[in-house]
Amino acid sequence: MDDEDMSCTSGEDYGGYGDEDYYNEADVDAADDVAVTPTHSEEADYECLSVNQVERVFIDGVNSLVSRIQINEKYARILLEANQWDADKIVTGYRKDRTEFMRKSHIESKPEPKRTLSATTSMLKGYCSVCAMDGYPTLPHLSCGHCFCEHCWRGHIESRLSEGVAARIECMESECEVYAPSEFVLLLLKSLPALKVKYERFLLRDMVNSHPQLKFCVGNDCEVIIRSTEPKPKRVTCQCCHTSFCVKCGADYHAPTSCETIRQWMTKCADDSETANYISAHTKDCPQCHSCIEKAGGCNHIQCTRCKHHFCWMCFGDWKSHGSEYYECSRYKENPSVAAEANHVKARRALEKYLHYFERFENHSKSLKMEEELRDKIRKKIDDKVNEHNGTWIDWQYLHKSVSLLTKCRYTLQYTYPFAYYLGAGPRKNLFEYQQAQLEKEVEELAWAVERAEVTARGALEAHMHRAEHKRQVLLHDFFF
Amino acid sequence: MASQLPRRIIKETQRLLADPVPGISANPDESNARYFHVMIAGPDDSPFAGGVFKLELFLPEEYPMAAPKVRFMTKIYHPNIDKLGRICLDILKDKWSPALQIRTVLLSIQALLSAPNPEDPLATDVAEQWKTNEAEAIKTAKQWTQSYARKFIL
Repeated sequence: MDDEDMSCTSGEDYGGYGDEDYYNEADVDAADDVAVTPTHSEEADYECLSVNQVERVFIDGVNSLVSRIQINEKYARILLEANQWDADKIVTGYRKDRTEFMRKSHIESKPEPKRTLSATTSMLKGYCSVCAMDGYPTLPHLSCGHCFCEHCWRGHIESRLSEGVAARIECMESECEVYAPSEFVLLLLKSLPALKVKYERFLLRDMVNSHPQLKFCVGNDCEVIIRSTEPKPKRVTCQCCHTSFCVKCGADYHAPTSCETIRQWMTKCADDSETANYISAHTKDCPQCHSCIEKAGGCNHIQCTRCKHHFCWMCFGDWKSHGSEYYECSRYKENPSVAAEANHVKARRALEKYLHYFERFENHSKSLKMEEELRDKIRKKIDDKVNEHNGTWIDWQYLHKSVSLLTKCRYTLQYTYPFAYYLGAGPRKNLFEYQQAQLEKEVEELAWAVERAEVTARGALEAHMHRAEHKRQVLLHDFFF
Repeated sequence: MASQLPRRIIKETQRLLADPVPGISANPDESNARYFHVMIAGPDDSPFAGGVFKLELFLPEEYPMAAPKVRFMTKIYHPNIDKLGRICLDILKDKWSPALQIRTVLLSIQALLSAPNPEDPLATDVAEQWKTNEAEAIKTAKQWTQSYARKFIL
């Protein structure tokens, strides 16, 4: 944020100003200048953290948990990852029934029938049942005591990593659900640097994803992690790579539309691509963690490999609810009024509706690209004027600001279309479409004035700017904040 | 096939041959020691009694870190086995553990024949029938056993 403020107000860097994501930037100055004081900020409160700083966040979380319950740090990590870092929930569960809680949290094993004599003697001989070899000097094991040789443990870890599992690697014993703490895994991978790096990367991913305040920056190859407590889908801008995105879902900032709606919309827009067709035909999202799941076998009982949630592929219900009243989901729940309408008529009407919104959404997106060129032209124009001693650089900044504001308004306008598409008919939709039309009108008038900025008086241009930003603020205020 | 057969597979094969599970035979293919020809006798207490079912079992390169691939070759009317012979069994998928063996897998399949589980169906039509009209389903399963699973019995 500091960088941007500097480049906008002091002008040290105005030549370089104009990244492709400028319309995402926090240029509050434009709004201030036209005397509209937004009551809410579109920017989330956030900080950008490095991997080391995030590790600090994890350590703090672990320490605070360890100070509340008697538990080893390595297990605290497992507990926090599995419980979205909700320490209160963990403490409550732990105090209620420690044994049961530790078992359910994959830290301790269920009590086992006594080990057979042969199993005990083979352990004495250093026998590993997975590779069927003996004579191993050490047989590492987790808290459950199931011993296997280091070589097999490494093979197991490698195999789990190839499936993308890191924080929740289970013991190799059948039906043993104890998770391997990172300490245990890292010790085994000491001699395998490539695998160790892979594990650390996946583990960081699991830990960050489980933490409600953390989110990876979506910029290409950017390693920054955003920390924010923002509950609304507001905008963050990475201080390292300057990518802007929604703090909740990581997509392009999409006010006034919600994350779920924009996700639906984007999938819909991509529908004519082959990948999208494949995704919609063969995959569904896990109802719990929203991972994309491809059905690889015939069985409809699906377990998400990431969050381990069991669900039914057909009805998305929790698998457990299927138990007694078998296959409720195979019954078609018919809505008589909808079913009466001929299918192709429905499909056609749906397509028309979609195209109406899509064309407008797409059109604004194209306009935004073209106005990027306009911004370059204006920048050059300002340079020329200053060189001709026709006013100073500061005198012409209002032109620059007018394009910034235009982009900002058009950007919001673009994202009003997915919102309207999914909004059910009624007074709320009427109000929304009224405000949308008002903003549409102001944006086009502003665009007209900006393109002819030279012949438009500064006062008139600023009046346009003020009106457009005002409409934008009103719309966001009524439907986003 | 250049890679050497792991000791674990050799030992498992030896034990399967020397000390076979009652009602199950598993023989490695002559040209591929990771491919097994399996026969499972229908358990006495099941509609599959009197039949002998042919299966194929393959140990992938990653075995035992990955589960063996098992498939019924003989047609069977069972809610957890589909038309292609694929089996819905947790230990062949997410519940696989490297500590499990060919022996335990085949025993589980044998148990699945004794106790079909229509709550976790693969062949939904069969499961539906099993759930709504069990007597009829068992009758069909017996008929299929007679028609398709008796050719290996001399």
